[in-house]
Amino acid sequence: MSFRHYKEKIEEGDTVILYLSNHLHAIEVKPEIKNKKGELIENVYQTTFGALKVRNLIGSEYGSKVELSKGWGHVLQPTPELWSLTLPHRTQIIYTPDISMILLQLDLVPGCVVIEAGTGSGSLTHALIRRIRPHGHVYTFDFHDHRAMLAQEEFEAHGIADFVTAKHRDVLAEGFGEDLNGKADAVFLDLPSPWTGVKHAVAAMKKEGGRFCSFSPCIEQVQRTCLALQEHSFQDISTMEVLQTELKVSRRTIPVRDLSFLKHKSSNNPVEEKPSSEKNYIVGSWPATAPGHTGYLTVATLPPQYIRRKCKVDKDIMEDSKADSEVDQVADHENGKMCIEENP
Amino acid sequence: MADNTIKLGEYIVIQKQNYKKLHKFNKPNSVVNIGKDAVNLKGIEGNRYFSIFKMIPHGTKRNKEYKLELAEETCSLKEEITLKASGADNRNIYDDGRSQKLSAVEIDELKFDSNKASDIVETIITNSTTFHNKTEFSQEKYLKKKEKKYFEYVQILKPNLRNISEIMYKLEPNKIQGIRLDTLSQIITLSNVSCEGNHLLYDSGSNGLLAAALLGAMGSQANGKLVHMHPGNMSQKQALLAMNFETEQYNKCISVNVYSVLRQLYQGCDTNTVDKEDSTLKRKAVDDLEHDAKVSKLEDTENATSNVDIVNTGEENKLPSPKKPKWHFDNIAASEVLSNKVDSLVVASKEDPQNIFLELLPFVKPGRPFVIYYTVAEPLQSLYITLKCLSNVAALKLTCNWMRNYQILPERTHPEVMMNSSSGFLLTGYVLQ
Repeated sequence: MSFRHYKEKIEEGDTVILYLSNHLHAIEVKPEIKNKKGELIENVYQTTFGALKVRNLIGSEYGSKVELSKGWGHVLQPTPELWSLTLPHRTQIIYTPDISMILLQLDLVPGCVVIEAGTGSGSLTHALIRRIRPHGHVYTFDFHDHRAMLAQEEFEAHGIADFVTAKHRDVLAEGFGEDLNGKADAVFLDLPSPWTGVKHAVAAMKKEGGRFCSFSPCIEQVQRTCLALQEHSFQDISTMEVLQTELKVSRRTIPVRDLSFLKHKSSNNPVEEKPSSEKNYIVGSWPATAPGHTGYLTVATLPPQYIRRKCKVDKDIMEDSKADSEVDQVADHENGKMCIEENP
Repeated sequence: MADNTIKLGEYIVIQKQNYKKLHKFNKPNSVVNIGKDAVNLKGIEGNRYFSIFKMIPHGTKRNKEYKLELAEETCSLKEEITLKASGADNRNIYDDGRSQKLSAVEIDELKFDSNKASDIVETIITNSTTFHNKTEFSQEKYLKKKEKKYFEYVQILKPNLRNISEIMYKLEPNKIQGIRLDTLSQIITLSNVSCEGNHLLYDSGSNGLLAAALLGAMGSQANGKLVHMHPGNMSQKQALLAMNFETEQYNKCISVNVYSVLRQLYQGCDTNTVDKEDSTLKRKAVDDLEHDAKVSKLEDTENATSNVDIVNTGEENKLPSPKKPKWHFDNIAASEVLSNKVDSLVVASKEDPQNIFLELLPFVKPGRPFVIYYTVAEPLQSLYITLKCLSNVAALKLTCNWMRNYQILPERTHPEVMMNSSSGFLLTGYVLQ
C-alpha cells in the first residue's frame, strides 16, 4: 500500500525498497510466505549482506537503517522511479528518462485522463498515476490477458487501484472502447504498430483535442506513425530520442611528469627519469558502455475539433458509410505500406 | 481547463511556423514583433485557443504592420502550388546567380503588392530558370523554406510547461540556467512531486521555470505547499505567471528570500535589524490602524480574528495586527512548512550547491528524494564525494542527458542537423535518517 501516500513508518503489506551499497531491491512486507509445499513459513529475504527477517521491518521508519545478518542496509518508500529500477520484469520496460519526457510531452497534470497501451510491466503506469492524481484517471490496456491481470493485482496491492483501470484488450484491433470516446486528454502508445492505433487515439481524445505520444524502437515504425498522424490532422508532430548517462565519480591521483629540468644542466645529475609528483582530482568518468538507444518518442497535438482540417474530418465521417474509391485508398494507407507512398 | 477562450490579462503563446513566442496579452490591440514583422493582436480576444489567424499587411511600406483575421485553416504551399516538372538530380544546376529573373527590388515590390504567399512564391518560381530542374524533394524543401519566409498565419496556443520551457530555452538558455526540456522533465519525476506533500525548491535564477514545473505537477488540488527560496529581493516569476494558474493554485507557491526565511525559522524574526524594523512598523502603525478599521468593517469577524492569529503566532511582542508586508507572512508560512519538514528538495543554484544543499537537507524527511541541478559537473562531483563521506543519503547518482530531434519524412529521415548539446547535470538521491 506504500505507493498511495507518503508514509513515515513501514506497515504490513507495504512494498519497500531495500538499499544496499548501490543495489536496490523491492520487498513486499509479508511476515510469512508459503513455501513450495504450501506451508506458511517465516519470510526471510536473502541479500549479499546476509539475511533479512522481513517481519522486523514492520514499524521501522522509512529512511532508517536495518540490520542484516552480515551487515546493514536502508529502507526507502518506493517512488515510481525506484519501482522502475526494481520491479519484476514481465516485458521490456520504459525507464525514467523516457518516462519523464513522456509525462511532460503529454502535458499531464493532476486531473488529466490518460490512456496507455500496452501496460507491460506497469513501469510507466505508476508514474502516470502519480502525475494525474487525485482526480484524474489512467486507462491502461494490454493484449496479454495474464499481464493485464497481474497489473491490476499489482495496482490493488500498491493501493493505487482507484486511479487506474487495467483491462485486457487488443486496442489495435478493437480500439479503446465506446466508453472512452471523447474522454482522454492524452494517449500513449507503446505497441508494435502504433500507426494503426492513431485513429483510435483520435476517437478517444476530447473534442478540445489533446496530446499523443508513441514510443517505438525502430525508425520505420516512427515513419509510418508520422504519416498516420498527418493524415489525422495532428499538428506539431515531432520525434526525439532521450538518453541518460550516469557518471562514475571518484577521486583520482595522477602522476605529474616534470620535463622542464632537461633545459638546463643540473648540478645534481643524474635526475630520476620518472614522474616527480602527484596531483589530486575529483573526476566524473563516462562509462565504457552505456545505453545507446531505447526508443524514439513521437509526439503530436490533436487540435480541437473545430479547427481540425476539414477534408480529414469529412473522411472520418465517411469511413462508416460506403465511401468512394478515393477514401478507400486512404483506408488502405492506414493498414500499413504507407511509408513509401506519398499523396499523389 | 474548462475555459478555452483567449482572455485579456493572460499569457498566450503565438506560434508562426516553428517559431513560438510567449506574450502577456494585456491590451486588446497590443503589437508584438514576430520575427521581423509587427503584428497587431486586435481581434484575437474572445476567440478559442488554437485559432488560426491570417496576417494581413497594412500601413506604409516603411511602417508595415500586420493585422489578424480569423482563418478557417492554414494552407501549405505544397498543396496550393502544383509542381509540374522536376529533375532527377542537380547535375544541370549551376549557382551562377542568374537563375532568378526577378531582381531583389522586384521581389520586394511583389511582397508588398500581393497578399497571398502562394502568389508570391508562384511568381518567383515561374521566373526561376532552374526550379523545374530540381528534384521533387529539393522542390519541396524550397517551398518549405519559402513557406517559412512568406508564411502568413499565426496560431494562438495556450501556454503550458512544455511550450514555455521550449520558448525560454530557445530564446536564452542562460536565463533558465540551460535547463533543457528532458532535464526539466526528470527534475519533476525524480523529486517525486505529486498532489501530496510539501516541497522545497531553491532556485537562483530560472525565471520561475522550476517553480512552474513543480507547482504544475502538484496540481490545483494539491494539499501541500511549494516553498520557493531565492537569494534576491524579488523572486523570478515569469514562467510561473505564464502558466496562468488559478489564484488558489498559484498561492500554493510561497516565494521567500532564503536569508529572511531561515532567519525567521532560526531566530523567530525575519529581518536582521529588528529595532529599525520595529520603529518603521510603529511609525506606520497609526495609518495602518485606521486602514484596518475600515477593512474589518468590510470583513466578517471570523476573517478578522484569524488574521490576528497569524500575526500573533509569528511575533508575539508586536502590536496587535500592525499592517505588515506580504513577504512577512510568507516567511512565517514558509518557516512553518520547513519546521514540519518537506517531502522533496530541488536545488538549482548558480552558487556552489554544496552549502545550500547541506543547509537545506535537515528540512527533508528521511526516505524522501532530492535533486540538485548544476550547469557543469564539477561542483556536483565534489558534492558527491562529500555526501559519500557523510553517508546520510542513499542511491546517489550523477547523471547527464543527451537529446536529439529527428526529421521524419518519407525517404528523407535523419537526425536534425542542429541539436542542443548542453543540458546540465543532475545529482539525485534519497535522504536517510
